Amino acid sequence: MARGLAIAIAVLGALVSTAFGQRPAAASAPRMTSQELAEWIDARFAEQYRQTGLEPAAAVDDATFLRRLFLDLQGRIPTVAQLRDFLADQGSLKRPNYVERLVNADERPDRFARRTAEHQSRVWRRMMVPASAPGAAMAVQLEPWLTRQFAANTPYDEFARKLLLVSLPRPIAGAVPQPPPVSDSDAAAAVFQRAVGAQPENLASAYVRVFLGVRLNCAQCHDHPFTDWKRDDFWGIAAFFSGDGAKPAAPQPPPTIVADSTSGLAFSAKLLWAEKPLEQTPAGKSPRDVLAEWMTSPANPNFAATVVNRTWQYLCGRGLAGSVDDLDRVSPQERQVLDDLAKLFVESGFDLRWLIMGICQSRVYQQPYSNDPANEAEGFTHRPLKTLLPEQVFDSLEQALGLPVAKADNGPRFNGLRDQFVARMNEAAPESPADYKGGIPQALMLMNGQLTADATNLDSSRTLRAVVEAPFLKPEEKIETLYLAALTRKPAPQELEFLLDYYRRQPGEQERKQAFAQMLWGLLNSPEFVLSR
Amino acid sequence: MSARRLRLSVPVRHPAADAAASRFIAPFSRRELFGLGLAGALGVSYSGWLPRLAAAAAGKAAAKQGKSCILLWMNGGPSQTDTFDLKPGHANGGPFKEIATAAPGVRISEHLPGIAQQMNDLAIIRSLSTKEGEHGLATRLMLTGYAAQQAAVRYPSLGSLLAKELGSDESDLPNFISLSPFRMVDAGFLGPNYAPLTVSGASNDPNTRANLALEDLVPPRDRGDAALKDQFDILRFMTRQFDENSSAEAVQAHRASYAKAMRMVETQARKAFELDQEPAELRDAYGRNRFGQGCLLARRLVERGVAFVEVTLAGAPGNVAGWDTHADNFNQVKTLSQTLDPAWATLMKDLRDRGLLSSTLVVWMGEFGRTPKINPNGGRDHFPMAWSVVLGGAGIRGGQAFGASGADGLTPERAVSVASLYATICAALGVDPKKENISPEGRPIGLVDRGGEPIKELLS
Repeated sequence: MARGLAIAIAVLGALVSTAFGQRPAAASAPRMTSQELAEWIDARFAEQYRQTGLEPAAAVDDATFLRRLFLDLQGRIPTVAQLRDFLADQGSLKRPNYVERLVNADERPDRFARRTAEHQSRVWRRMMVPASAPGAAMAVQLEPWLTRQFAANTPYDEFARKLLLVSLPRPIAGAVPQPPPVSDSDAAAAVFQRAVGAQPENLASAYVRVFLGVRLNCAQCHDHPFTDWKRDDFWGIAAFFSGDGAKPAAPQPPPTIVADSTSGLAFSAKLLWAEKPLEQTPAGKSPRDVLAEWMTSPANPNFAATVVNRTWQYLCGRGLAGSVDDLDRVSPQERQVLDDLAKLFVESGFDLRWLIMGICQSRVYQQPYSNDPANEAEGFTHRPLKTLLPEQVFDSLEQALGLPVAKADNGPRFNGLRDQFVARMNEAAPESPADYKGGIPQALMLMNGQLTADATNLDSSRTLRAVVEAPFLKPEEKIETLYLAALTRKPAPQELEFLLDYYRRQPGEQERKQAFAQMLWGLLNSPEFVLSR
Repeated sequence: MSARRLRLSVPVRHPAADAAASRFIAPFSRRELFGLGLAGALGVSYSGWLPRLAAAAAGKAAAKQGKSCILLWMNGGPSQTDTFDLKPGHANGGPFKEIATAAPGVRISEHLPGIAQQMNDLAIIRSLSTKEGEHGLATRLMLTGYAAQQAAVRYPSLGSLLAKELGSDESDLPNFISLSPFRMVDAGFLGPNYAPLTVSGASNDPNTRANLALEDLVPPRDRGDAALKDQFDILRFMTRQFDENSSAEAVQAHRASYAKAMRMVETQARKAFELDQEPAELRDAYGRNRFGQGCLLARRLVERGVAFVEVTLAGAPGNVAGWDTHADNFNQVKTLSQTLDPAWATLMKDLRDRGLLSSTLVVWMGEFGRTPKINPNGGRDHFPMAWSVVLGGAGIRGGQAFGASGADGLTPERAVSVASLYATICAALGVDPKKENISPEGRPIGLVDRGGEPIKELLS
């Protein structure tokens, strides 16, 4: 906390200086490429391994890498054709090149960059409003705005300021809420405020959690039992959201908020880690401007570190330091690498794409998953299995099954089946990447639901028909194709043996065809389909 | 008669054969007989091929001790002053009148006339005293028995605790089923085997929603029995291939969910979710709403050996905020009472008629009570200091009100802690309140928090 305090004082100093809010000077230095960032990450990890004596696991094979990368960036598994092309590529830089391609290339028909931005928006929406929050359903409406930001690669500090400074239109009693004016392309960011409940206290705890990795809400009613947060910290932030957002020409006394209507207990606006409340709001600025400048400043001890930690968790399955929502409980030693990486991120101009590419191009990203959770927890030698998000499950099924995606075909994307599927999966959506919550209703839907029924029906399933009817494929090649389509890998010898044996035991032509349908059904329902390895 | 011996002794071919064979083995509990009858009624479509079904048919699915618990969860925190602890004549009392019940001297709200008739099997605690007034944290407290912030332990919910103590691993149905929950509290460190099956009603199909049906229980029509069995075998093989030796939580959770889901498909969940099989008059008596039909479904589930069923009342026609009646308290509580009363009263009667009441504990509670003082909006706010919970059925000495909250409702007399409430629930179900589970960190965690003692007066 002492360190945080020191930085906070520095930030407060910056508040009154004119330099505040500008890009850090380091941005003018020659920029580190994402590949250089990847090398930096690997060097830092190598240093850690040297110190701890731990041995990082060898990198995953090409097929596993591609499946992982597609799921993480495109939100879906690769097609068999994409996999075959990647496996055939003999280039030594094919992995880093593919990362760049999925993040930056936006040509039709693949629109890789667009899909990466869309998937990122789903991931971010869930980080901002967790699946268990009351506003989770409403938060889905935030996705188009998020996608625009990620597609344009809006610098992250600017992105955060847009979310902080957007004003929620005042509701008019009895009136139907109006859609935001088209003229203001960022008005849609206000959905976030509605989704968390637009009271000052809700906004305070939501913004501080999302952008600073600090959980303040327990300090709403009482001083926090485990951390140093006090009620004046919580209500001090809430006070910034209490006014009408006016920007008076003259300096103003700090805003206040009444925490408890019966006792009349009031708190003055106060920044976290600051000892005293704000003295005044500068001329021409609203209290929220002051808060946004402080929160998104390069000097804020947690702003850049929190987004780097969240991005690391999104890609590698868990945060680089501690829990992404409780960064203030991590010791300076534990967050050393995180803080150094955050510094580079600030120097990059808060460039999220660069950060994502750098992580995905690192060797650390290519670590295999471990069967033993103890391996994951210690020393970052492996990564955890990641549970697919509801949309990832659907979109991967769509890919594996060759479902119609054109509007004219009225496929599941357009006839409501996708929405229904995602809604059911959302009832048990993971709260963090390594968390599998799927229950019986979700299992039953994947086992017996309409989508699976069609997919494993010999008459209606495209993938299945293509495999079963292909005259040039031997049975083992048919099985291999099903594995490639569903699991992005070839079957292991014992798998092939088991399934071929099953196939050969079938009494007739029709049963032998049906056997492939049963295998596909098994693949789609296996844990390997919904867990990213 | 041990279920294990029976399972081994009956050759597995056809449920009718099982039923015939088992006629020679006696005595059976009522529940085991039910299992047999049902297995016969299942017909041949899903039942001919699985050894497990024979186990079910033999009554293996019945709970370990034959005890079950139904929790009627009142989301939002119900007003004790307007339900079970009225203050007639006091300024805090409000407009509701008090009525006599079947139990001499015990008086409750005029809007709970059906419950009043059941009072001989119900015991009111009027002095529950807790310290948490925030919905989420209080829900966690009441549904786990531990204050959420005590430590970094993921406490299991009451349903998971009792599913472990009362349920059977061999059961065809999950041991913990939660009907339209509002806030989920999960199995915590007990893990996926004790996680609830939630019947959420988020379906797009209004019939399914209204009937609390479990969707996708029936495999596609084009699959025959043999094909389905093969399909399951293939999936089991593939699952083993992937997760052999894996102790990752995600893999275990997936395996547990699928094992239960497959079992339910194989046995068609023993038709538990088919409310259409109930007489129309009985469905009417419960009330044709989600809570009423949920109570009916709870009875069907308990009848099939499910250890713990939670039914949530989170709203009623004209009421959106559930029991969180910060404004317009009296109209809202009246409306909710009109949904609660027929459902709960019919449940008590139905359980009794079927001989299930002596083995089924019914618990009525929310996350906290509400302020005795009426606020300027005609509402009542959160109040954990002195509030009411009702227990009835298995192990409970009904017909009484324990403790009190003083003339103004503000001060608990003979205060009951959450731990003591939990201890009482355990004792009523024949579970040792001193028992401990071991957390993954190796820490012993009591079913009941420290200091909890069963309230002897409440136990029969």
